Amino acid sequence: MLDDASFDHVFADFEDGRENIRRFLGILGLLLPDLDLIFEGDDGTKTTEAPYLPELDNTDLAVLRASIADGSVGFTHCRGRLYATAVVPPLAGYLLLLFPEQYSISDPLAVMGQMVTNCIELARNRFEQHDLAIVNEQLQRQIEVMKRQHLQLIEDNHRQFRIIQQKEKEYARELESEIAGRTAELRETNQRLETASRMKSDFLANMSHELRTPMNAIIGFSGILEETPLNGEQLDYARTIRTSADSLLALINDILDLAKIEAGKLSLEINPYDLKELVESVTAMFRIPAKEKGVDVSWYIDSQLTDQYCGDSNRLRQILVNLLGNAMKFTESGGIEVRVEALRDTGGDEIQVRFSVRDTGIGIPAERQKAIFEKFEQADTSTTRKYGGTGLGLSICAQLVELMGGTIDLTSTSGKGSCFFFVIPLISIREDEKESCGSSTIKQAAGSSVHLKVSEGGRRVLLVEDNPVNQKLAMLLLQRQGCLVQVANDGVEALERLKDDFYDLVFMDIQMPNLDGLGATRRIRELERTEEGAGYRALADRDHPIPIVGLSAHARQEDQDQCLKVGMDAYLTKPIIKDQLIKVIQRFLADP
Amino acid sequence: MFNAETIAKKYSDLKTLPHVAIRVNQMVHSGNVTMQDFEEVIRLDPVLVSRLLKLVNSPYFGLVNRVDSIAKAVVFIGMKNLRNLVAVEALRDVFKEGDPAEGFSRKNLWMHSATVAILAEMIATRIFGISGEDCFLAGIIHDIGLVAEDQVAGEQLRAACRLFNAQERSIVEFERESIGTDHCRVGSILARQWNLPEDIQKAIRFHHDRSRDVVPESPIGILQMAEYFAGKVNYAVVTNQVEPLAPSLVKHLKMKLDNYKVIIRDLPSEISKAKELYISDG
Repeated sequence: MLDDASFDHVFADFEDGRENIRRFLGILGLLLPDLDLIFEGDDGTKTTEAPYLPELDNTDLAVLRASIADGSVGFTHCRGRLYATAVVPPLAGYLLLLFPEQYSISDPLAVMGQMVTNCIELARNRFEQHDLAIVNEQLQRQIEVMKRQHLQLIEDNHRQFRIIQQKEKEYARELESEIAGRTAELRETNQRLETASRMKSDFLANMSHELRTPMNAIIGFSGILEETPLNGEQLDYARTIRTSADSLLALINDILDLAKIEAGKLSLEINPYDLKELVESVTAMFRIPAKEKGVDVSWYIDSQLTDQYCGDSNRLRQILVNLLGNAMKFTESGGIEVRVEALRDTGGDEIQVRFSVRDTGIGIPAERQKAIFEKFEQADTSTTRKYGGTGLGLSICAQLVELMGGTIDLTSTSGKGSCFFFVIPLISIREDEKESCGSSTIKQAAGSSVHLKVSEGGRRVLLVEDNPVNQKLAMLLLQRQGCLVQVANDGVEALERLKDDFYDLVFMDIQMPNLDGLGATRRIRELERTEEGAGYRALADRDHPIPIVGLSAHARQEDQDQCLKVGMDAYLTKPIIKDQLIKVIQRFLADP
Repeated sequence: MFNAETIAKKYSDLKTLPHVAIRVNQMVHSGNVTMQDFEEVIRLDPVLVSRLLKLVNSPYFGLVNRVDSIAKAVVFIGMKNLRNLVAVEALRDVFKEGDPAEGFSRKNLWMHSATVAILAEMIATRIFGISGEDCFLAGIIHDIGLVAEDQVAGEQLRAACRLFNAQERSIVEFERESIGTDHCRVGSILARQWNLPEDIQKAIRFHHDRSRDVVPESPIGILQMAEYFAGKVNYAVVTNQVEPLAPSLVKHLKMKLDNYKVIIRDLPSEISKAKELYISDG
């Protein structure tokens, strides 16, 4: 309700406390315009809007007050006029309603009483409605404010959402460009490094000749100088020059080997060799220094192993010499043992062989063992000073072993000794192949004029190939297929062979000196078409043109196309894969 | 004797408004922040987080769903309300200190400030239909100058309060005689240091100034009326001392008397709804 007792005083400064009474009288006055309304407050104050009122003394008031009925309107006469009286809570006091003169108490009071009561009730309702209207008004304003705040919130939230989105986008973009930038940088750096590395390796690989030539002169002439009459001092100088030049050449060879390997320019040269002979000769090299140091050098070869194998014996020797040299260098007493053992037969001609060099030297601490095969690494930098060496040897060994399709490793106990070992596949040579493999070597050495014997069952094949390693390899493969192989070193030589002998098939390398494979093939097809061909044993009296199979390291389609265009019948890429070779042989030689 | 700058400076040296409060206030006015930014700043003070969430979920905001993160609070009550709550939390402890003394205590002052803040917001929204967040902040912080004076020149302030007779002259005149400055000046300097909105600085500066023609709808007018009513309902700064209203406000009040009666009638329930805001836990 309006008048909360506790807060009555709040507005005391702005009102006399009778605003409500006046307002109520105003409202009631509209409902009962004929009556004069007077409010007699409990505090004795009189409130009225009427311009003229009859005088009332205390006796009159007592009479009027006495007429107030509980819960309804009371009526009474006072000084000849009719009055109604009523209390109107919460207003403190009572209400006097003065009737016009023509009204008297004799009128039907019940009806009038009801009417006045209704009017007062109505007025009270209207009075309170005013209060409700204010409350309503304030609620409306609050709702308006809330609506605005709500809109503001929505707007704020939407804005925040956009900001977050924006930030995320920016972040993603930054991240992306950052990554792209870094990637490009890395790629560029990588490319630069690759180029630099390749250039360095190329440079070193190409230096080979330029370095070795003067070294040969120095070594050669210092040797010759030693042969000339010299006094003791001069002889000492000359020997020092030669031994220094020897070690320098060894060092240069090491560096160049490594550079070649890194540049991918080192390839193995496959030859047949005697394993026992090789191991023996390597250990023999160390006999003198071993004797000087009092170190025992021994070797052992598994009896399972035969003597003859095909491979790059020079590189194998290089590895063994290196390992044995190291063992010798770091061993002061005790012994060094070289062991060659067959591990397992992988079937066919290939066998896994383990080479090991065991010494009783200073050993290598465990933490250094991993790095020992890295370039320029030694077990201890101090060893460089004490024992010398470049730290390249083991790195070269490791690379060579890898090139041979094997692995190298070591076991070592510091102070007790080391064992370096590597496992590589060896290709054994069967008895029947040995001779031809060997004979081709002889043929190479003697020039190209030796004819091969023609066996009755064999098909005759002419191999035109300039590279001796490739010659040997292809020959070996062809012989295993039961072919009789003859070799020509280039196109010119091939034409010579065709003139003198009969052949069933020609394998033609493409790149060769004097006359290359394409030129030779063109010439052969030309001869077959003309009278001139009659002068060639291999070309005359044939039902079909002689089949020619191209051999090339280039695997591009256009190279193949070119081969077929000049008149070749087929084409094989190098290195020659056995299965493909068999297919080609079957295709052209199946039906004699 | 002191001047306002000295008191403000000495007080700032002693008591700094928590970093979080200052940062949140800056963020509200930067216009380029997200709820996550608020979350990040406020999260640094876990006690504050839990108190804020308690306030956000109090009947004062009447939210239907429970809010369990600062980011959500920003979404539901808005940045300005969040700023106000952070201010309430920052000031709560400030008003707690000090010994209660005859005529003046910070505890009374806190109840006074909270009542003024609630009234100011009610007047703003119910009478003028404008959003009341800034008026609330002005209300909660308008007497910070008194706290500063109490801290720096407690004796002089108490002397002024003892002599203060609202029917004679304003409290600020007693302060000037006893201390050398008044809490309106000190408070506005502090408000400026804290980068509060200019309207709020002004409202603090002039909340006892009856000489000028105060516009009822302005923050100054609203704050003065709220101050007056708070005194009338027994939350005066100095017990039973309520300074009279400026003439322009009296005129406005008489015209809208019935409206203000409704506000005073509803005040007890509003105060009780906001209980979490002003009652200190300890």
